[in-house]
Amino acid sequence: MTSSFLLSLTTFAYLLCTVLYLSGTIFRFKPLLTAGTVVGAATLLAQTAGIGLRWVESYQMGYGHAPLSNMYESLVFASWAIMIIYLIFEWRIGQRALGVFPALFSFLAMAYASFSKDVDSKIQPLVPALKSNWLIAHVMTCFLGYAAFAVSFGLSVLYLVRKRSPENSNPHGAMLSFLPSATQLEWFNYQMVLFGFLWLSVGIITGSVWANSAWGTYWSWDPKETWSLITWFIYAALLHARNLQGWKGERVAWLSMIGFGCVLFTYFGVNFLLSGLHSYAR
Amino acid sequence: MVKEKNAPGAVLGWLSSLKLTLVLFFVLAASSIIGTLLPQGVGLPELRDHFSPLAASLINLLALNNLYHSMWFRVLLLALCANLVACTIDRFPKTIRLLRSLESPFDSQKLSRFGLSSSISTDVPFEQAQSIVENAVCQSFGRMCRIGSEHTGGVGPYCAVSEAGRWSRLMVYLVHLSVLTVLVGALAGSVLGFKGSMSLIEGQSSDEVTLADGERIRKLPFLLKCDKFEVSFYDTGAPREFRSDLSVLEDGKEVLKRAVIVNDPMTYEGITVYQASYGIALKEAGIELTDSDSGEKISMMLPFRQPVNIPGTADQLMIAEYLENLMRVGQAVEFVYFKQGKQSSAQWILVDRPYHGNRIGNYLVRVTQMDKAPYTGLEVKKDPGIWLVWAGFAVMTLAIGLTFYSSHRKLWVCIETDETGNKTTVTFAGRTSRNPHVFEEKFETLCRTVERQLKTKN
Repeated sequence: MTSSFLLSLTTFAYLLCTVLYLSGTIFRFKPLLTAGTVVGAATLLAQTAGIGLRWVESYQMGYGHAPLSNMYESLVFASWAIMIIYLIFEWRIGQRALGVFPALFSFLAMAYASFSKDVDSKIQPLVPALKSNWLIAHVMTCFLGYAAFAVSFGLSVLYLVRKRSPENSNPHGAMLSFLPSATQLEWFNYQMVLFGFLWLSVGIITGSVWANSAWGTYWSWDPKETWSLITWFIYAALLHARNLQGWKGERVAWLSMIGFGCVLFTYFGVNFLLSGLHSYAR
Repeated sequence: MVKEKNAPGAVLGWLSSLKLTLVLFFVLAASSIIGTLLPQGVGLPELRDHFSPLAASLINLLALNNLYHSMWFRVLLLALCANLVACTIDRFPKTIRLLRSLESPFDSQKLSRFGLSSSISTDVPFEQAQSIVENAVCQSFGRMCRIGSEHTGGVGPYCAVSEAGRWSRLMVYLVHLSVLTVLVGALAGSVLGFKGSMSLIEGQSSDEVTLADGERIRKLPFLLKCDKFEVSFYDTGAPREFRSDLSVLEDGKEVLKRAVIVNDPMTYEGITVYQASYGIALKEAGIELTDSDSGEKISMMLPFRQPVNIPGTADQLMIAEYLENLMRVGQAVEFVYFKQGKQSSAQWILVDRPYHGNRIGNYLVRVTQMDKAPYTGLEVKKDPGIWLVWAGFAVMTLAIGLTFYSSHRKLWVCIETDETGNKTTVTFAGRTSRNPHVFEEKFETLCRTVERQLKTKN
């Protein structure tokens, strides 16, 4: 058993998980949703094993580093983080109908990592700048934040759908009966943004401390740094906006979606479109 | 309520508004985006290569090519700080008053008007009901505090509150304080500190740091010497490690010896030295000059950046620069020619391509030998503000976590009997600063527990 086999398996299993969640919601058939959760949890285990195995393999190759060092490895971790955050969230709220987006994002991240020509899946040695214990802390915290924002994006979409289609007024109304109420969705979304904001802040801080020991400066307005700060501004605005009258609800949902757009640009846009100190993340 | 409309009050009101906060967040985000899309740190001539003359001048005028250090971006950051401070001035006293205020007396009627309240009627006598309620509240909410003891005559109503997490209301101020601390630390660093680079060949020592602007030199209070420099590579050709063995010399005496690698800098007397880069430096070159008129050949040795007389003449030649790969045509050396009575002239000579363009004045130049050595590129920095930044970061992490995951929870209880003394009514009310859903669940559970226990007692 190799890590690449386990991770390929993971890709297809997340697709199955997405299909199960989606059809469970559309056909209003609870067992399908339960199956979605079971497949999701099993896939998460397989993926965890895959990541662990890749770590071991890197030691066998003589490089010896945590599998968090390039685009491929970060995509795999992003997919893992989205799923684990979603499953814990699902377990805590006891609602199964919110899994479509997280499962879809986990699948897309894995599919992109596995099939894109831009993403190299080989285990590579670490360049000197990455050789630091901060690597694990920085990448993990950032991606926990990104993953929470991905789940929050899904919740925002569902919130807007729920809010805009009054129950039973149209033929699709019944389809939404599986979804929690708009008030609940709004609350879940807020909780998810809080969680993401905490991790994004810690991610920026750990990155900053690391940059100071690697490059001698804790903030250099490198595009990656700047875009993570832009993302931070947007979510900070969201958290403050929620205290303003008239901003609760739809506007907060839109802000969360814009914020996730910033996350995507921080992750992909900066890597592929802008050059900077984070160029090894390609 | 009519607000005071005097001028300072109005300014404070505007500065402390949440709307201003939002506007500043969006404007800061938008301008930061512009900064990542336009080239930063380039001058007007370079801008003209990429943009039309009008666009280039406009970018230069608005300082969009040096956005993050421009005056207007700093004003935006300053405005955010002012907003933060104004909010604190506006709200902090209210929070403190709220936290220090003693509980004013209340009754069951007041409690029933709360957003979260519940009333239970029972035949259980007053004292028994009281002990049941006290037990249940202590188990789920914590210590209770009796209020309004002036009702002493007869069987007065029992009023009590139980609260937890008062301090959590202060956490948000701590987050804001930490943001200010980080910014003050950054300011202190940029005013009181410096940052620059130093290149050293093995065996060389220096106390001169070329500052980040590339022009000014800063003298260190000690000499930095490179004893040894090593680069190692992986099989793939990627660099594995670069390492400089450095020593610090004070008054000619060695006071510190340490290896510096990437991610492991060395600090001495508040000055930190980082391994940043490496390259090949030219120490000395042997050249052969051919006089175009007479065909006479002259050979000479030129140490790096030291003018040397051309034998048989009063003219001088100096190597000013060396590049490993000039515009992808290979090694190149820049010579400066000091001819008597004339202005000095500079010329790049291609080492690997001896062609007719390799000439200085009347001489055709050929580089016959080169004595090269690897050099280590060091980054040298002093930042006295860094401890403020670190402290700000630590407080920020802690305070954001506590702001989100703690809350000020308060429970009010009132137990009273009706005129006949047969019926006892227990009224609960609750309020929380955060996480209302979790609190509501806990509140409902408490009410159900008390109701069940009252029933069984009955």
